Amino acid sequence: MATAYNTLAFKPEHCDGCNACMTACVEVNNAGSDLLNSRIQIVADQDNAGGGFELAMCRQCGDPKCVANCPAGALGKDAEDGVIEWDGSKCVNCLLCTVGCAFGGITYNASAGHVVKCDMCGGDPACARACAAAGKTALKFITTSRIYREVGDLEDLFVPGLSGCQGCNTELIMRHTLRRVGPETVLAAPPGCIPGMGAVGYNGLTGTKVPVFHPLLTNTASMLSGIKRHYKRQGREMTAMALAGDGGASDVGFQSLSGAAERGEEILFIVVDNEGYMNTGMQRSSCTPYGAWTSTTPVGERGQGKTQDAKNMPVLMMMHNCAYVATASTGFMEDLYDKLDKAIAASKHGFAYLHIYSPCTTGWRFPSQENIEVARKAVETNFVMLWEFTPATGLQLSRSLDEALPIAEYLQVLGKYRHLSDEQVQHIEASLDRNVAFITNLTASRSSRPAHAAAGM
Amino acid sequence: MQQTQYLIVGASHAALAAVQAIRMHDPVGSVTVVSKDDALPYSPTVLPYVVSGRSDPTGVFLRDDAYFSKHQVNYVKGAAVTGIAAAGKRVSLSSGEEIAYEKLLLATGAAPLLPPIPGLNAVDYHVLRSLNDAVKLRQALGEAHHAVVLGAGLVGMHAAENLSKAGAQVTVVEMQPTVLAGYFDRDAAAIIEDVFAAKGVTLKMNNKVVKLSPRNKTGAVVSLADAQQLDADLLLVSAGVAPVMDYLNGSGAKIDKGILVDDNMHTSAEDIWAAGDVAQARDFFGAGQDGAKIINGILPDAVEQGKIAGMAMAGDPALKGYPGGVPLNTYTFFGQQAISVGSQNQGVVVALEIDRVQRRYLKIVMQDNRLTGIFGINVAFDPGVMWELILRRIDLSAVREKFLADPQRTARLLMSRTWR
Amino acid sequence: MSAVLKPKAHFIVCDGNEAAARAVTLAQVDMVAVYPITPQSSLVEYLAKFVAEGKLDAEIVDVEGEHSVLSVLHGACLAGARTYTATCGPGLAFMFEPYLRTPGMRMPLVMTIVTRDTLTPQSVWGGQQDAMSVREVGWLQIHCETVQEVLDTTIMAYKIAEHHDVMLPVNVCHDGNYLSFGATRVELPDQAEVAAFLGKRDVNWHAALDPDRPMAIDPLTGGSGGPGPALFVRYRKGQCAGMQNSLKIIEDVHAEWGRRFGRYHAPLVESYRMDDAEYAIVTIGSMTGAAKDAVDEARDRGERVGLVKVKTFRPFPVHATAQALANVKAVSVVDRSVSFGWNCGPLYQDVIAALQFAPLRPPAMSFIGGLAGADITTAHFGQVIERTAAMVKGVAPGGTVWINEND
Repeated sequence: MATAYNTLAFKPEHCDGCNACMTACVEVNNAGSDLLNSRIQIVADQDNAGGGFELAMCRQCGDPKCVANCPAGALGKDAEDGVIEWDGSKCVNCLLCTVGCAFGGITYNASAGHVVKCDMCGGDPACARACAAAGKTALKFITTSRIYREVGDLEDLFVPGLSGCQGCNTELIMRHTLRRVGPETVLAAPPGCIPGMGAVGYNGLTGTKVPVFHPLLTNTASMLSGIKRHYKRQGREMTAMALAGDGGASDVGFQSLSGAAERGEEILFIVVDNEGYMNTGMQRSSCTPYGAWTSTTPVGERGQGKTQDAKNMPVLMMMHNCAYVATASTGFMEDLYDKLDKAIAASKHGFAYLHIYSPCTTGWRFPSQENIEVARKAVETNFVMLWEFTPATGLQLSRSLDEALPIAEYLQVLGKYRHLSDEQVQHIEASLDRNVAFITNLTASRSSRPAHAAAGM
Repeated sequence: MQQTQYLIVGASHAALAAVQAIRMHDPVGSVTVVSKDDALPYSPTVLPYVVSGRSDPTGVFLRDDAYFSKHQVNYVKGAAVTGIAAAGKRVSLSSGEEIAYEKLLLATGAAPLLPPIPGLNAVDYHVLRSLNDAVKLRQALGEAHHAVVLGAGLVGMHAAENLSKAGAQVTVVEMQPTVLAGYFDRDAAAIIEDVFAAKGVTLKMNNKVVKLSPRNKTGAVVSLADAQQLDADLLLVSAGVAPVMDYLNGSGAKIDKGILVDDNMHTSAEDIWAAGDVAQARDFFGAGQDGAKIINGILPDAVEQGKIAGMAMAGDPALKGYPGGVPLNTYTFFGQQAISVGSQNQGVVVALEIDRVQRRYLKIVMQDNRLTGIFGINVAFDPGVMWELILRRIDLSAVREKFLADPQRTARLLMSRTWR
Repeated sequence: MSAVLKPKAHFIVCDGNEAAARAVTLAQVDMVAVYPITPQSSLVEYLAKFVAEGKLDAEIVDVEGEHSVLSVLHGACLAGARTYTATCGPGLAFMFEPYLRTPGMRMPLVMTIVTRDTLTPQSVWGGQQDAMSVREVGWLQIHCETVQEVLDTTIMAYKIAEHHDVMLPVNVCHDGNYLSFGATRVELPDQAEVAAFLGKRDVNWHAALDPDRPMAIDPLTGGSGGPGPALFVRYRKGQCAGMQNSLKIIEDVHAEWGRRFGRYHAPLVESYRMDDAEYAIVTIGSMTGAAKDAVDEARDRGERVGLVKVKTFRPFPVHATAQALANVKAVSVVDRSVSFGWNCGPLYQDVIAALQFAPLRPPAMSFIGGLAGADITTAHFGQVIERTAAMVKGVAPGGTVWINEND
């Protein structure tokens, strides 16, 4: 059985020490007004000029030492929700649990007269709600565990040991999507990082447990059309699925992709957009953003990176009136999963296009452990916008475009933008504003028209 | 004859931690746990609370049958190990059965020491070794008027508190000059002793029982070294514990005070590990690889050692060797909290705060700006966080003053930037 | 002659494009991918019409270009479908990337090339330059002479392509304008008999994209070191073996066709009035009709001239050609396309190479005619025959003659 649990995530850099969380905690636990009684303790590093906050609270550990240290059987990890539960009727107040915890997560509380610890408020932590209500983003209740619980028992259909670059999140995308789509699948992996990692295998050996093939870089959607049509003709249920790079989708493969989308072929087409031909050595594609260094838009006396803006592939695909089009990011896995489910469903009756932004540690030049953070920053600055489209609903934002972080926070973490001049940054800002306005307008134009159901009422 | 891949003798914290560690890495290998008690696993640490009535003796079990069946563990109750034939990889049990093993963990713990006091065999006395002992002592509690407790260790002090709360006149006799000498210094012990004295418990330190004589029905007449005689209708012998290793002949495992183990809890005998109160392992504060080994004898360390042994037995590559035993303990008495983490005598005392009136005490010991010990009574700090600071030998020079002023807060600030 | 006119015989008048479409319908294909291009367009229009009318139960995929035409069929074939398409000239050029890949994947596709001259100069007319430009890709290439042969050969092509000893794609070529639009009487075979002749389709037994039989199609192979190099050679050699195997299969299939339907077409090369021929002309495709007339006329004059028509151009029937030309003293080869590398006709190149296996090693000349829709008339062939006869009399063979140069 796959187990994973919801968790509280703390981002100290987003904390300003407002204590809303602690206030909420004492309130919900009827622990008076003394914040020392809060089961979440925000510890401020006052002498540190940059602020700096630490969180002392129960991590709901997977292999909890507090539980192992309890001689009275008063502590136990709930198999369902993962919360380490304290049973006051059994506790003997020996405090050995506090010896086991390296996070200050279970402590003796003098006014209570026994140890206290976070119980996650039964699945809706008051502290996280309070943080959000105070307009902050330091504490978040992360519920992505449901994904793992849902798909953890599904078979991983790729071989172990795919050879991606260190920190690459494409493997994450590959394994998660394919296990979700399932074994009744024919998978196309056009030339690029994905077969480069060994997805199609080498020398007669396969890289997956489903039928998989190398289409040409140019004809992925067409080959899948033929496959799907023939199985449909035979009355066989299956998913025709592509895991393609942005180069193969937006450049040389665009014609066949556009054709299949226009014909409404029943295909699940997933583009992993790492903004260039990263597998062949980081060359520019039409999805490479303005200003970016690539090996074919190098930086030198006369060159300062790419001189054109990126092609907006998902918008182009939306204009094909596909059954489903969405953008997603590995920084927002719950959203990605929701969209994957919708895309799979849409691929049963039409063309489903899922565009996943995927930072490239090697080609974008940033430390390999930063991948998810970079993905997140791209979204938080609106550089990447998360939305979805169906012909019935039009374009709908998955995440508000308001209150974006300054684009500089994204640009400065990437080596490929290190050379940018002020003018180039201004160009990027202007393009970004235009893109945000464009997408916003698409949303607005849609909502101004009454839906059919509403009109009929 | 039964055969098992993993045989674990003992069923308390070290044993249970080992089972869990084995199952993390090897979900299918056969596991057998043998307990001398005819009960589900329980912790000896809980026994004083059974005596006090805080714990219901039917509710102290650390695992149930469902756990063992879910994890495919064969749990054998009421069978003590009587011998090991290491050559044939067999263990014989008090039931007469033999079990063949591939890998063996000795987690037989410690049993109360019975001091060589003349007359002990002729009198009625209690020990606190098993759940049955605890239930028996609990039954005797209400009827005791004059109780004598031999030994001012944790078991004795807990019992003294319980007897006093039950209405008995209690006298504690201890050879050491202070209570809980292993964990608290004279000043801290004085605060504890104050509390007990205030509750009417008589503490006879630097004293010794020289003779025990029978009296009618229960208890004994206790003759002390200072010539005083106490008429005790309840006598509890809690003069320390010693590892249970009377079955070791034939195992080839080298022993000293306990069974000697390396940093993977492996004994000197092939495919035999030992963990918990029976094991004598690296001293964290000892000098070098061949430094003196100690029996740390505390619950959290038993868990740690059991886990290491289990991982080693299962061949878990994530295994990290034992860093060495750090003395530590927690002690709650009459609503007060005493915590001891680390060594009293490694390095120098860098902070000392004693308030006998408020019953507050804090002592911090450091060596080269690294924490080696922190001891408190009614002072809030996180013992687990402190233990981690000691184990990791974190250099505190940058935050030294802050740490001394507010150890809990300062230690918490070091958490995420130091460990995850 | 009653054997030919069987009771079920059904005659229609149609052009080559319709004949090909009817053959595809009789072959009961599963999928047809279409994209229009002159002079192929009416062929796929017929197919779309037959599907719309319910005469052909197949998927018609109207794609956005020839590249996808073939790519869709690749997918369908790997899923187990019998497939068909047709193209020519620039369309063939555009589908070159998947075209190049088809034989390596051992996919038994059948595709008509309604031959057209290649750009540039801009031209929409017939000429075999398109087919000849892809002669080394690894497809079988079979050229038809008549509309009836188009129909019969298109059906036979499936049996050849899907044969387990072959498993290669087949181009059935018919000349743009001449055969595509030239209407004649043709006999339609009976559907049930065609089905019996073709048997059960079995196109992806060796390489499939089927969730019930998961496998990797075309994982990376080759390089140096490891199993790659030997594996790659094995694939290549297998492809060549399939090509050579097909020579016999083509003969067998043609023989069976003759037995079943009463029409015997020469499978590899056809010898016309060659029994006592002193010299010969070699032709390919629809020009052969006029050439045969010219041979007949010359025979009437007492010339001992014969004709050898090459039907199967890829694989090239080296020994059949050498044998057909074993006893002649001079040979002329008429091409409808150009070998730029040799400044001659491509067929001429292959014929003179094959003549290395003929005992007399006769002198030979290359004639190029009929480019971009130009006619090669009986008179033109008369001139070819005259020049060939001169070689027999000792006149040295000259350089390439461009037949329509002075038209």
